[in-house]
Amino acid sequence: MNTPVSARKPYQSKLSRSWWLKHNYYRLYMLREATVLPLLFFIGCLLYGLYCLTQGAAHWQSFQTFMQQGWVIALNLLAFAASLFHAKTFFALFPRVMPLAPAWLMISGQWLATLLVAAGVLLLCGGWL
Amino acid sequence: MTDYQLLIQRYDPEHDNEPRLQRFTVPGDHTTSVLDALLYVQQKRDVTLGLRWSCRMAICGSCGVMVNGIPKLGCKTFLRDYHSDITIEPLAHFAVEKDLIVDMTQFLAHLSAIKPYLINDYSGTALHKQTPTQLAKYQQFSNCINCGLCYSACPQFGLNPEFLGPAAITLAQRYNLDSRDNGKAARMPQLNGKNGAWGCTFVGFCSDVCPKQLDPAAAVNQAKVESAKDFIISMFKP
Repeated sequence: MNTPVSARKPYQSKLSRSWWLKHNYYRLYMLREATVLPLLFFIGCLLYGLYCLTQGAAHWQSFQTFMQQGWVIALNLLAFAASLFHAKTFFALFPRVMPLAPAWLMISGQWLATLLVAAGVLLLCGGWL
Repeated sequence: MTDYQLLIQRYDPEHDNEPRLQRFTVPGDHTTSVLDALLYVQQKRDVTLGLRWSCRMAICGSCGVMVNGIPKLGCKTFLRDYHSDITIEPLAHFAVEKDLIVDMTQFLAHLSAIKPYLINDYSGTALHKQTPTQLAKYQQFSNCINCGLCYSACPQFGLNPEFLGPAAITLAQRYNLDSRDNGKAARMPQLNGKNGAWGCTFVGFCSDVCPKQLDPAAAVNQAKVESAKDFIISMFKP
């Protein structure tokens, strides 16, 4: 008796490198992930500032001059916008991962906490500077 | 009646080396679903069109297809919502057997890998009671119809077919949260592994396409919390 020959020939397509460009949902996801890039610049500035602080007045002055340049301000504003966008997505996802209270309460609570901490830090730094 | 233009992906393993799109004109009104349109094509235009379907009421989970690049149940998607060409392809990230039929072996293997059944040492004949609060903990995650749409929406599964994926991890979470179950320890090794919950980067599209609004992305990320707890507890165990 002949063994039947299988006609199976499954076609497996490969996911292209540009998969994330094909749908708005994926583009927004990649934007969320990309918010880390301007934040890296901000952290670099912060570390550079701390380093200058330990090196004396002249270095601190040069750091301040560096920070006042237009492109540095623009990149830091971008980092600020990116962190706000990331916070928005994070705050919306958090109640789904840890459903401790109604989602709207957790989301508004997180924004309130952010505002309070930001205001506290601003007051503290304002008084110190 | 309106004429709709359908572009259906065809693939005949006996003759084709890769899939191609074929255009069909299908009459429809405001009640015509994508599944109705596909069955019209099969019955009136080309009897060789291969597709899976059964219940026509979003219960069986058989008729999943990509409609204009988005995973949908054919029976729950209506032609009236589309105003230009409607491209219908088989579910993404799965191997295509013929036309719109995909091989779901891997998906089913992932489902069974997480031991999707009650594990306990209960042997009595009395009813195993559960309070409404205990039921509410997992009920949402128990509504899965295994349609596989979430796997087609998940780029992580597309990049790595070994990734357990949204439905399987949701099912693990469903049993882990069940008060009648004691099998968590047996499921955690699967969830803790690199192809378990940590393979997810919370793209979240799986929850968007889920026809039963299970929110699998939430379940997967809750499983990450469980996995982290499991890891910390294991550090203190002799």
